[in-house]
Amino acid sequence: MAFVLGIDLGSGYSKAVVCEGGMVKSHAVMPSGGNYKDTARAVSERALQKMNLSQSDIRYTVATGYGAGMVDFADETVTDISCNGAGIQHIFPAVRTLIDIGSQFSRVIRVNDEGKVTSFIMNEKCAGGSGKFLQIIARILNIGLEEISALSLTATKPIEFTTGCAVFAESEAVSRISEGALPADILAGIHNAMASKIVTLVTRIGLEERCAITGGGAKDMGLVRTIGAELSTDVLVADEPQITAALGAAIIAAERISR
Amino acid sequence: MAEEKKGRAVATQTAARIPKFVRGNLSATLKAKEEGKKVAKAYIADGQDEIMRAMDIVPAWGESFSGVCAAKRDAEKYLQKAESDNFSRSLCTYATCHIGFEMIREEQGGAMPEGAPWGGMGRPDMILGNGQLLCDPRFKWPQALQHYLRDVPVFITNMYYPPWDPNTDHHEQEKFYVKYCMEELRETVKFCEKITGKKMDWDRLAAVVELSDKTWDLFIDTYDLRKAMPTPMDTGDAMNTMVPLTFNLGTQEAYDFYVELNKELKQKIADGVGVANPEKYRLIWAAGLPSWFALNDFQYFNGKGAVFPVEVTYRGCERIERLDLPKTNDPLEHIAWRWVRYWTHWYDAARKRPGSIPKVERIIEYIEDYKCDGAVFHSAFSCRSWHAGIIHQADVLRKIYKDIPILIMEGDIVDISSYNEADTHNRIDAFVETLEAYKSKRKN
Repeated sequence: MAFVLGIDLGSGYSKAVVCEGGMVKSHAVMPSGGNYKDTARAVSERALQKMNLSQSDIRYTVATGYGAGMVDFADETVTDISCNGAGIQHIFPAVRTLIDIGSQFSRVIRVNDEGKVTSFIMNEKCAGGSGKFLQIIARILNIGLEEISALSLTATKPIEFTTGCAVFAESEAVSRISEGALPADILAGIHNAMASKIVTLVTRIGLEERCAITGGGAKDMGLVRTIGAELSTDVLVADEPQITAALGAAIIAAERISR
Repeated sequence: MAEEKKGRAVATQTAARIPKFVRGNLSATLKAKEEGKKVAKAYIADGQDEIMRAMDIVPAWGESFSGVCAAKRDAEKYLQKAESDNFSRSLCTYATCHIGFEMIREEQGGAMPEGAPWGGMGRPDMILGNGQLLCDPRFKWPQALQHYLRDVPVFITNMYYPPWDPNTDHHEQEKFYVKYCMEELRETVKFCEKITGKKMDWDRLAAVVELSDKTWDLFIDTYDLRKAMPTPMDTGDAMNTMVPLTFNLGTQEAYDFYVELNKELKQKIADGVGVANPEKYRLIWAAGLPSWFALNDFQYFNGKGAVFPVEVTYRGCERIERLDLPKTNDPLEHIAWRWVRYWTHWYDAARKRPGSIPKVERIIEYIEDYKCDGAVFHSAFSCRSWHAGIIHQADVLRKIYKDIPILIMEGDIVDISSYNEADTHNRIDAFVETLEAYKSKRKN
């Protein structure tokens, strides 16, 4: 069996997955920072070290994501849209509609029974439906991103935001905080605003069951539940949804060496 | 400081002549001022071209000028000027770019703004507005312009055609619309006669119209050559080669251009020369004006083996025979019929296919004729009158025709602030991967 490596250099986080024989052997996640080249090395080394491997043990490397072109040791680059399709097919073969919520972009991807992308749509140049929105709100609430999920689930009266714009919502959230609104209710309100934008994308491309959510946004169960409720469907979330594209890259790498 | 992009390669030598053509149109407006000829701020594809040509009125095309500014990445100063007088960025950027240019010139007492692309455009003696049914800026743009060009008379017409209704037989309505268009054209002639002080030479107009018809036929015959595999020319070039048809209709030089293009394409086909080598995917540019500042994106497609043998955009004509026009000796009536039938001749086909609409029927026809594997739409945010229906068209296409890969790109025609090259290329890459997935599935 040969080891393969998938690296997803996203605008917010970078992910690396090592696979062998179609099985995930290790993975790593770290903030992308400003130097994609160094981050690519660092995140892959982190994943490789968990298996006591080095880059020379890797037969094929596929890079994807915003900074894919900066991975100078990759054998190939593939778009994160295709990698997400391949990754989700490996995790949940029944999925036909995938919602990927990343730091900079949200996208809805339709895949066939082979995990091949048949159609996709991305959010317009607006942070309103992307993970950036959550980062902005977490900062003004002075909480960590990892706290958002649990806190939002305690909301009782979600705030209704009058705007879907992340910039305007930031100042609106500040006003609501000063009025005494609870952070949980603010977060739930943000989830509603984000879900509304994301569901519009799903509507444009069409929902085919089953549906899964991936990306960093999928770690936020409050957001996942809100989207599921808006779509009136149970959405699937993998144990490690953030590494789906990197996993897909590794799956594609494995396909390349098996040709 | 304008950011000048490196030159875009063209697939045909004939297309390489287009910048000279456009520059010639701009300089003609400046020369006209010296020669005492009248210059009309005019709008493309509205039936008025031949009237202007027959009366020696030199058209100043605002859309063309704004497109040139965008292609040279030099539109920002004009957009900002218009914005400074409260013209919103969400308005048509063809209009706001041109209005900004005229604002600066008027502030300078009529002196050409420094650095105006290709010498700039002559100040109009008249403005011929035309809504062309779908485009609301064409009503407001002339009026807004007159706010700055106080002495320039404005005449606004509208060339209506029967709106699509699957439950109505448009054949019964056509005559009424033709009559309406003829009245609009007659009044245009009267207005032009008043401004120029000359009477229309009707025989000359008839000759100009006849030449236009010949150009329409030749244009279609030439573009049909692109059905060849590999295609000898794609949309990247067609966004140039549309210039003579769109801006020089009714002139011998327009006709001669397509003679030359026809000859070159036939030679390329004979030599087996295609745009992409190898040609892997054939696409239709199904709707939308291009981002003039990013025409290189067509080459990005080509580099992936994807070519566009056909586009809806700027294919503003049809073979005359196909339109089955009633015989008439009145050139204005002929123009009116040609105009109405150009839009309605897809209606019957659309009526036969449940759920279809004429615009989608046209796309289906091209997909079949040009053997396309996928469709690309471009949604330009500032051109709402045309682009608002794009997602609907894409949805209908999928629903009533077949499951076909579709890419909807987002951007603008002039405003570069809406454009992100990395994001656009990422979308194109993903689309090409989707095309490949479809192809593999078909093979299996």
